[in-house]
Amino acid sequence: MTEASRQTLLASLPTSFDTGPEWLRALRGRAADRLRDQGLPTKRTEAWRFTPVRSVVDAEFSRDDKGIASLVSALPDGVTVRNLNEVLESEPELLEGRLDLGGAPSHFAALNTALFDDGLWIDVSAGTVAAAPIELSQVVPTRSEPGVTYPRVLVTLGESAELTLIETYASNQAGELSNSVVEVDLGRNAKMSHVRVHQNAGLQVGRVDVRQAADSGYRSTVVTLGGALLRFDVRCLLQGKGAECQLDGVYLIDGVDHADHHTLVEHQAPHCRSAQTYRGIVSGKGTAVFDGVVIVHRDAQKTEAHQENRNLLLSDTATVHTKPHLEIDADDVICSHGATVGSLDEDQLFYLRARGIPEDLALAMLTYAFLESIVDRVNHEPTRERMREALLARIPHGDEIRGVT
Amino acid sequence: MLKIEDLHVEVDGKPILKGINLEIEAGQVHAIMGPNGSGKSTLAYALAGRDGYEVTKGRVIYKGEDLLEMAPELRAAEGIFLGFQYPVAIPGVSNIYFLKAALNAIRKHRGEEPLDAIDFMKLSKKKAALVQLSDELAKRSVNDGFSGGEKKRNEIFQMAMLEPSLAVLDETDSGLDIDALKVVAEGVNALRGPDRAMLVITHYQRLLDYIVPDVVHVLIDGQIVRTGNKDLAKQLEKEGYTEVRDALQP
Repeated sequence: MTEASRQTLLASLPTSFDTGPEWLRALRGRAADRLRDQGLPTKRTEAWRFTPVRSVVDAEFSRDDKGIASLVSALPDGVTVRNLNEVLESEPELLEGRLDLGGAPSHFAALNTALFDDGLWIDVSAGTVAAAPIELSQVVPTRSEPGVTYPRVLVTLGESAELTLIETYASNQAGELSNSVVEVDLGRNAKMSHVRVHQNAGLQVGRVDVRQAADSGYRSTVVTLGGALLRFDVRCLLQGKGAECQLDGVYLIDGVDHADHHTLVEHQAPHCRSAQTYRGIVSGKGTAVFDGVVIVHRDAQKTEAHQENRNLLLSDTATVHTKPHLEIDADDVICSHGATVGSLDEDQLFYLRARGIPEDLALAMLTYAFLESIVDRVNHEPTRERMREALLARIPHGDEIRGVT
Repeated sequence: MLKIEDLHVEVDGKPILKGINLEIEAGQVHAIMGPNGSGKSTLAYALAGRDGYEVTKGRVIYKGEDLLEMAPELRAAEGIFLGFQYPVAIPGVSNIYFLKAALNAIRKHRGEEPLDAIDFMKLSKKKAALVQLSDELAKRSVNDGFSGGEKKRNEIFQMAMLEPSLAVLDETDSGLDIDALKVVAEGVNALRGPDRAMLVITHYQRLLDYIVPDVVHVLIDGQIVRTGNKDLAKQLEKEGYTEVRDALQP
């Protein structure tokens, strides 16, 4: 019998919330009550079966709330970025009903809701097409004792607005925890491309929650480049007719790193389309988990939903758990899902070597090509190029195969 | 250039080649003909160094060195080229990048400077014209979405770029119509020269009308049962492998 989870992470939950507008105090209070009542996940929690959540839940952190994501790019016209605290003080009504994750926060998102101290609100006004991407970065400084941060970002796009958002979460410090929440609200016909890079030596739990009005489009590209323990959830609620989302991801896991990606797409309205493509390479003693769910509600006729997860295992000691699944309550739908776990194609490897290409370079070419096809779909060339460079930097001999695709 | 002595090769524990003896001089073109399952492709793969083709007996001397000790990439760098019967598609790896990497790896092995982008493009344009391979195809992913004929032309294009000493062409004619066959054969003939040897593997005599061999070997059940000049190919075409085999029975 193992010792019961100590839930150290909950120790910093206050018993009452005294600042901010009434609705926020109530929101935080409900989140805290629920956490005290139910606790954080344990290894018996279904959604955390394959991920050692205890190393997060029972860890000791020196409290540090100031690790909020910061803006690192210039602001294009028509885009405003404000600190959440400033808005909560001056115009709290603007945020009411927008920080509650659609009423269904997961454990860690509830913890963020209870404890986030400031954050950013990015707003793109109706009809504005942001000419350049917005870049946010949470880079945790090296410090003597690992801390925990609760980054919080709200993104709102008005009708027919368009934005590319690039987020980078990076930390070189082992033991550091980042528990982030990004909420996205897309107005009618709004389009957003969201690139998110995880380059974290520490612990990371992240959640992106997207609500989509009619005819809106959301494209997510997640690039996970290792991490001691990463858990990332993206949830898209297709609430308006004709909305579309594309959730893509690549992960490159080695050493003893662990990455757990969950996706959830809910088709709540008819004529929506969703597609998910996650690809990963796992080597060393690394572990990757993919859990993807598509739920098609009864009224969501003419839904089209696709889901695919492909994995390459490069060592006998690497592990992949993959579970794509569909729950369909409508009858007029086109849905597909599939998962593969395999090793590199021996025919391809031999072909390259038979032409004189050394084995290590041939391996680099094939692994890079496998992942690059996902990055290649990002609709912003400088970002694509940066993602390519990031992959090349992580792949052994990557710097010798630049330009292979 | 190449001396194969009593070569025995097993695949998955099953003997396929059962004592091959063969010697090829520089400047010669040898043809190996044989029915399906006789071991033709096994010989090609064994020479190129593919995993899973286990040499249980015999040796292969190439330019005075023990070929069987070399990794596939070293064999290529030493001038061996395998034209694949079924060239594999490699989505995401550009044909032209791959070929540049291959050529420069081989040049490096020879102690030569890498070709820069401009010289490489000039060379590849010239060589692609040899087999009428369009620029557009050369830039795509390796063999990805290529027709059967395009794949085979791509093989000969690569051979022309890499300028091997010994080319092993495994059923380069399979799946080609007569026009494509002529294009491929012309490409091969353009590369014949006093310093280069070729081993042309084929099921049908047809290819040998266009690539005329100096020596023809008949491979049946893992052994070379007859060796002759180009007329042997014609005789095979007329009589079939069965007759040739039966004629050998004691």
